[in-house]
Amino acid sequence: MIENIKTGKNGFIDLFNKFRNFREGTLILIIVAVCVLMSFLSPYFMTWANWKAIFLSFSTEGIVVVGMTVMLVLGGIDLSVGAVMCLAMCIGGKLFLLGVNPWLASLIALAICAGIGYIQGLLVTKVGLVHFITTLAFMGIARGACFVITQGTPLSLFTLPQSFKFIGQGTIGPLPFVIIIFLVIVIVSDYMLRNSTVLRKVFYSGSNEKAAVFSGIRVSRVKIGVSVLCCTLSGLAGIIYMSRFGASTPGFGVGLEMTAISAAVIGGASLTGGEGTVFGSILGAALLSIITSSLILLDVSVYWQDLIKGCILLFAVSVDHIQHMRRQAG
Amino acid sequence: MKTKFKNMIAVLIMLALVATFALTGCAKEEAATPVAVAADSTDSPFVGDPSETYYMCVMVSGVEYWFPVYEMMKQAGQQLGVKTVYTGTPEYDVNKQLAVFEQILAKKPAGILLHPMNPDAFIEPINRAAEMGIPVVTFAADSPNSKRVSYITSDNVREGEFAADAIAADMGEKGEVAVLENPGQDNHDLRIKAFINRIETKYPDMEVVARAATNQDPNKAYQALMTIAQAHPNLGGVFMPEASSGMGAAQAAVELDTGIRVMCCDINAKVLDMIKAGEFFGAINPNQGTQGYYGMLMLYLAAHSEMIDPMNDWSQAGFNPMGMPFVDNGLAVVTAENADFFYWDKYLEKRGTKGINE
Repeated sequence: MIENIKTGKNGFIDLFNKFRNFREGTLILIIVAVCVLMSFLSPYFMTWANWKAIFLSFSTEGIVVVGMTVMLVLGGIDLSVGAVMCLAMCIGGKLFLLGVNPWLASLIALAICAGIGYIQGLLVTKVGLVHFITTLAFMGIARGACFVITQGTPLSLFTLPQSFKFIGQGTIGPLPFVIIIFLVIVIVSDYMLRNSTVLRKVFYSGSNEKAAVFSGIRVSRVKIGVSVLCCTLSGLAGIIYMSRFGASTPGFGVGLEMTAISAAVIGGASLTGGEGTVFGSILGAALLSIITSSLILLDVSVYWQDLIKGCILLFAVSVDHIQHMRRQAG
Repeated sequence: MKTKFKNMIAVLIMLALVATFALTGCAKEEAATPVAVAADSTDSPFVGDPSETYYMCVMVSGVEYWFPVYEMMKQAGQQLGVKTVYTGTPEYDVNKQLAVFEQILAKKPAGILLHPMNPDAFIEPINRAAEMGIPVVTFAADSPNSKRVSYITSDNVREGEFAADAIAADMGEKGEVAVLENPGQDNHDLRIKAFINRIETKYPDMEVVARAATNQDPNKAYQALMTIAQAHPNLGGVFMPEASSGMGAAQAAVELDTGIRVMCCDINAKVLDMIKAGEFFGAINPNQGTQGYYGMLMLYLAAHSEMIDPMNDWSQAGFNPMGMPFVDNGLAVVTAENADFFYWDKYLEKRGTKGINE
């Protein structure tokens, strides 16, 4: 009997240790801890309606986080994601108001975003500019273009057809369609980043660019491809927002780049490249959203919310980092 | 290799030249020219010199709030026979706005209608402008400890109170309400405090049950209202001091379908459309046009202060005799009945002008 209990206990500890050694394990434990604590503090936290709101709030941003994660793994950074997202929204909205079919307008907007990514990639690989400066410049260019297109005033897209509004507002069963799009993108990109040859090259290029070149990887192509992917995903998020809010606002997405970078870093991505998973980054985005929701439910003063959020995030990142160091040392 | 390098340098130089020309073209200031003035009216002190130029200086210059302000500043300038120019920094950055202000001063303008992003940062530049004989009138935000001549604004406290009264009246003066905030922006904080204070002092059967910071982000506003509605299922209304959050909150209210009244300050085309469709309870809009028109009049009078000699110590104390500490430009309550009058594009079309581009 005693032996059995011991075995059971050891089995649990083994399982716990295995889970902890899983790269995203610590972050999952932190999220679970926050959720358990919140379920005691607020009876409204563990309701489906609240979780739907949490999922909806980070699912569209989460699409941008996916692109940012791949970019960080490459060793780059994209400061233009918020502005490019807004540009897709403004181009799509303006074309729709000019009489273009909203689906075609969205495709054109996405193509332009992909084109911006391609130009960014060319500037990084052919001219030799760094990602930081290139995307910083495009952040200004894209945001400026938003103001030019909208003339500074939000475009009301009240007459968007229901079929198009379905992207942002529709549901399939109990699940909002936005969440389904988000889950598909996350599952596919996480799987590909871990297993596909194409996206594994991103890791090799981000870990050691010279070694990647010597091993025959066309790093320039990888860099251009990642820039295109990052901008296209940002554009897709913009189209979803356009459909969800029925408006194109030139100031939309300001600061989104910092949220996306924070989520990815919380999720284990390294700013120096070669490290990070889509799943981890999405957990980071989820943690940010859960904390925001919790602070509102607990009626925490608005003047304290940012401070508390910052402290919790610092704690989460520190614990995750220490665990990661231990795993590497072990 | 060398040829390739030279080609690259050549391409970069070309790009730089094109960018320089493009920027020079963009930076060219389009001054609104004065309308022709009748010859016999030139003796009137209310007719200025066509070479006099008055600037409007703002931050985040692409924001639509400024456009109706400038539209009427321009009109007042044309009627007075002087030039007006719309300028500012496109960014939310006080240093950039200070740099633009310095550039304006270097041109020795007749006066500046200024929206200072930060009150204290502008004290020294405004005081220097006063010493140079350039009057500064602040609008919508103030620098009270500076030597600005006057300050024109909507009464933010009244805006918050109006919103509270409108929601309370529709809720039968009882029930739960919430606010979505943008902490740190002075005029927004004033509106929120006034709303809460009004509910607490005038409506004993009403309660502000939740406050959330959404920082002008529709997505955050959406999540905040969805979350608040879980904790407070009887929520009857929500107020926010700006329109961007309003779009997200209204979307959440539509999806919740529990009859939450969404009310905000300021407007845009989307908010107006939602008000007309009954998805948005209403909005409080400052009279921007009045702000611009009277702002220009005060600037002109301050630049021509010889027109007045009031019975006070202005000459000894050295202040501008035209100075008025504070002017309230009033506000409008926008509902489904009058929303059509507040569309910027329709207004421009009606007036037949180019807005800020002249």
